[in-house]
Amino acid sequence: MQSGPVNQISPKGLKVWRLYGMMHSAIIFVIATGICALNWWLEGPTWLYVVSFVIFVIYTYIFVYLFPKLRWLRWRYEVREEEIELQYGLFIIKRTLVPMVRIQHVDTEQGPILRKYDLASITISTAATNHTIPALRTNEADELRMRISTLARVAEDDV
Amino acid sequence: MSEERYKLHPISAVMNFIKGLKDLIFPFVVVFVANGFQGGPGENEDWTRFIPYILGFGFLVLILISGIVKWKRFVYWFEDNELRIEYGLFVKKKRYIPFERIQSLNYTESILHRPLKLVKVKIETAGSGNPDEAEAELTAITKEAASRIEKELVEAKKRKQSRVDINDLEEQSFSEKETVSIVPVFKMKQKDLLILATTSGGIGVVFSGLAVFMLQFSELIPYEKIYEEMMVFLKFGFFLVAISVFFVLVLAWIVSVILTTLNYFEFTIWKDDDQIIITRGLLEKKKVSIPIARVQGIRIVENPLRQLFGYCTVFVESAGGSLSDKDQKIRLFPFIKKEKLNHYLVNLFPDLHVESEWTVSPEKAKPFYYRLDFIWMIPVIVGVGYFYFPYGLLSLLLIPVLILFGLWQHRSAGYSIKGNQLSMRYRGFSKYTFMIEKKRMQSVEMKQSPFQKKHLLASFETTIKSGLLGATAKVEHLELKDVEEVMNWFTPSKKS
Repeated sequence: MQSGPVNQISPKGLKVWRLYGMMHSAIIFVIATGICALNWWLEGPTWLYVVSFVIFVIYTYIFVYLFPKLRWLRWRYEVREEEIELQYGLFIIKRTLVPMVRIQHVDTEQGPILRKYDLASITISTAATNHTIPALRTNEADELRMRISTLARVAEDDV
Repeated sequence: MSEERYKLHPISAVMNFIKGLKDLIFPFVVVFVANGFQGGPGENEDWTRFIPYILGFGFLVLILISGIVKWKRFVYWFEDNELRIEYGLFVKKKRYIPFERIQSLNYTESILHRPLKLVKVKIETAGSGNPDEAEAELTAITKEAASRIEKELVEAKKRKQSRVDINDLEEQSFSEKETVSIVPVFKMKQKDLLILATTSGGIGVVFSGLAVFMLQFSELIPYEKIYEEMMVFLKFGFFLVAISVFFVLVLAWIVSVILTTLNYFEFTIWKDDDQIIITRGLLEKKKVSIPIARVQGIRIVENPLRQLFGYCTVFVESAGGSLSDKDQKIRLFPFIKKEKLNHYLVNLFPDLHVESEWTVSPEKAKPFYYRLDFIWMIPVIVGVGYFYFPYGLLSLLLIPVLILFGLWQHRSAGYSIKGNQLSMRYRGFSKYTFMIEKKRMQSVEMKQSPFQKKHLLASFETTIKSGLLGATAKVEHLELKDVEEVMNWFTPSKKS
């Protein structure tokens, strides 16, 4: 049996995903409140309050607690001498293998939220595919980018 | 070095004009038709009612002039191992294409070209990014001019070689001999062409064209009026409707048969020392060349109807080129008996392993191919069965059909590794067979759902470059250890 990649992504990444989840559920909250207000104004049935409240709670639970946690637990990556291996997925676990020789360029990216937590995501592009490792520590991401680009430069092959 | 500047043939001004017309025909028709509807037998007899016509005429003249100007300003020449093109009236554009970057020259001869012995040359480069910039087009040049470009290319290659080797005298004469050796490898038989045309999926194309046409005009068609007329029409009888639908279908089919026959007439594959050349077409002759080094993979497609008669279509996935070109997935063999295919493929690609021992999806994976379908199938059957009570239950027939289809997919799924080549076989609706060299594979992804994990199964897919984007081949529900074997085979650090 082959062992998968070993490195986990930063625990701070989990925080960021939770934050994203909270933003989403805030939107849901606004919508739910809107529906409730409308219901109150139109003197609609009581069960609608309950339903919208329950949906909000379930949504929050799933997208703030469950999914980020699962996603974080599953995420693994490893950058080896000759290849990069990623493993991720909520239910369906995907394991991707990208040989160094195929890599065309590497990008790091940092949005405002990621910057606040000193994180960055790194995207590896081949001639036909893109692969992203989300939420690495900034210095780790920079270092990784440098390493990948030097490793990728070593071997040359056509396309 | 020749720095003489060449122009296109004057006929290209006419072609620019026609092309401009083609782009504008829709707005034109819309404007005029709309105008016709609004105006009606109005009483405003003053000159303003001619405005649309004047405008239209003005546009025509404008297009004509711009066509002429485009031709007037377009020059190309060879300098410093580059093909240099200059065009544009107000904004002068220059494009310098180094010869090494030129991937292929594709020729097209339309009906306008042929009496004057001209060709349209499309220069494809490996450029990425903006697809429009990835190629240059010489609208119409004489055949001599076209062969001059080719000669320049060959000479440039030679110069490059001679820079590498010092004692190149022998080599040069040798390579000269080699360049002449273009041999036909495959010619499509008239009979095959006929079958290809009659079974072509071009019907769909024609229909979608019709649909687009209808959509464009949907605002102008007085639906209510049509609806009323339809009711009268319906009273005439269902039979008449059926007949007319059938008539339209047959007509669409005939059109597609004719189009396919014209497009694939005298389809021939030639082999040069480092490229494959395809020529085809009756009214519009096309010549496409594919550098063999650029071929990323080979895809064999068997749709069920053709599979029944043992025929298949073979595509070549080639890197680079332009996205705008619809022929990007080049049909290497549009239509060929599967048993004869291997012979030709080996001829074209000597390194290819055409015979493979397939590692197939295991028995226990069978349910995986139809299980997921039940998720949408059960609500549909329950719904239909409930609302259309007695006859709705006929939808139960869906179950065996889908199960059989799933089993069919199961039977096709498999992969084979031979040396540096991975072959993959799977079925969507048609059956696909991919043959890919390891060095062309950009990435491999293994997928496993919790259900698959329980049964020690997994799926995998691989992506190769094709055109500007990627093409993905995927085999589902294989034995976990087999998928891991593929992963290990692909892992560079695990070379055995």
